[in-house]
Amino acid sequence: MRLEKCWFCSSTIYPGHGIQFVRNDAKIFRFCRSKCHKNFKMKRNPRKVKWTKAYRRVHGKDMTQDSTFEFERKRNRPERYDRNLAENVLKAIPKIDKIRVTREEKHHKNRMKGKKQKLQMEAARELEQGISLVKAPSVLQKDPSLTLPKIKVGVSQQQSEDNHPMEE
Amino acid sequence: MAAIFASRCSRVGRSLFGGLSNSSPGLFTTLHEMTCKNMFSQQQRTFIQMRTVLKVVDNSGAKKVMCIQALKGKKGARLGDTIIASVKEAHPNGKVKKGKVVYGVVVRAAMQKGRCDGSEVKFDDNAVVLVDKQGQPIGTRVFGPVPHELRQKKHVKILTLAGHIA
Repeated sequence: MRLEKCWFCSSTIYPGHGIQFVRNDAKIFRFCRSKCHKNFKMKRNPRKVKWTKAYRRVHGKDMTQDSTFEFERKRNRPERYDRNLAENVLKAIPKIDKIRVTREEKHHKNRMKGKKQKLQMEAARELEQGISLVKAPSVLQKDPSLTLPKIKVGVSQQQSEDNHPMEE
Repeated sequence: MAAIFASRCSRVGRSLFGGLSNSSPGLFTTLHEMTCKNMFSQQQRTFIQMRTVLKVVDNSGAKKVMCIQALKGKKGARLGDTIIASVKEAHPNGKVKKGKVVYGVVVRAAMQKGRCDGSEVKFDDNAVVLVDKQGQPIGTRVFGPVPHELRQKKHVKILTLAGHIA
């Protein structure tokens, strides 16, 4: 079972999915779904479309260089079958996957490192600017004039119009 | 139908923008071109049917042929099907002359075709390789990519002559 990569969004294409476009210079473009195919037909650059893997890599949101990516590269020449090698590969796949996931998490954590502090600073600045809008409950207890006076409104009950005869 | 609609649109465009062309010629021509271009890009790719003009991608001598009969299917021919065509343009010293009725195998079609694994394949243009009644190619070379589905259709000779198999 061969898993291809989508030309536009770089997601995995499983067998039986997607569409394949062959240009006259024999270059093959594989698309995982019609969304990617339509974007390609509209001549959109995947590096400028925010949801693609290419954009995320270019703008430093995903890892670009890592030793775990070397294992995933495309090999056109098949290896000669060796039972021990196949067994070792199958054992190694989950380990490598786990390492990649942890490294991605670490990369994400590093990327988001200063975000909390930045948000706190923004919140503090907003509080300073709009302090007049905020009043503590103790202040309201000391000075009741700050609260609006309660006005009693008399509601007159209207008589039901069921007993009135209909006007013609 | 699409061709009629396109021609009608173009006619309307000319009549609308014809009188205004002196005042601002650049604006309206570009607008008209844009609308036509947009419509062409959204054009539905369909079957190869009567009066479809196809490109000949071998060295038989023909350049363009026009389909006059699709030999399979009710709607028309698709990728890998055989058609009967009339030669519309030809090289002066080729094996095939203009006006000759020939058989051809569709090796590239703009309409997508489902593959046995469930995916779909489509090409840039509609192209044909001219063959005789026995299915043997007239030319000795095939240019551009051809699909591997031709093997199922027993056109192995075309696959061996082809440069790229998609």
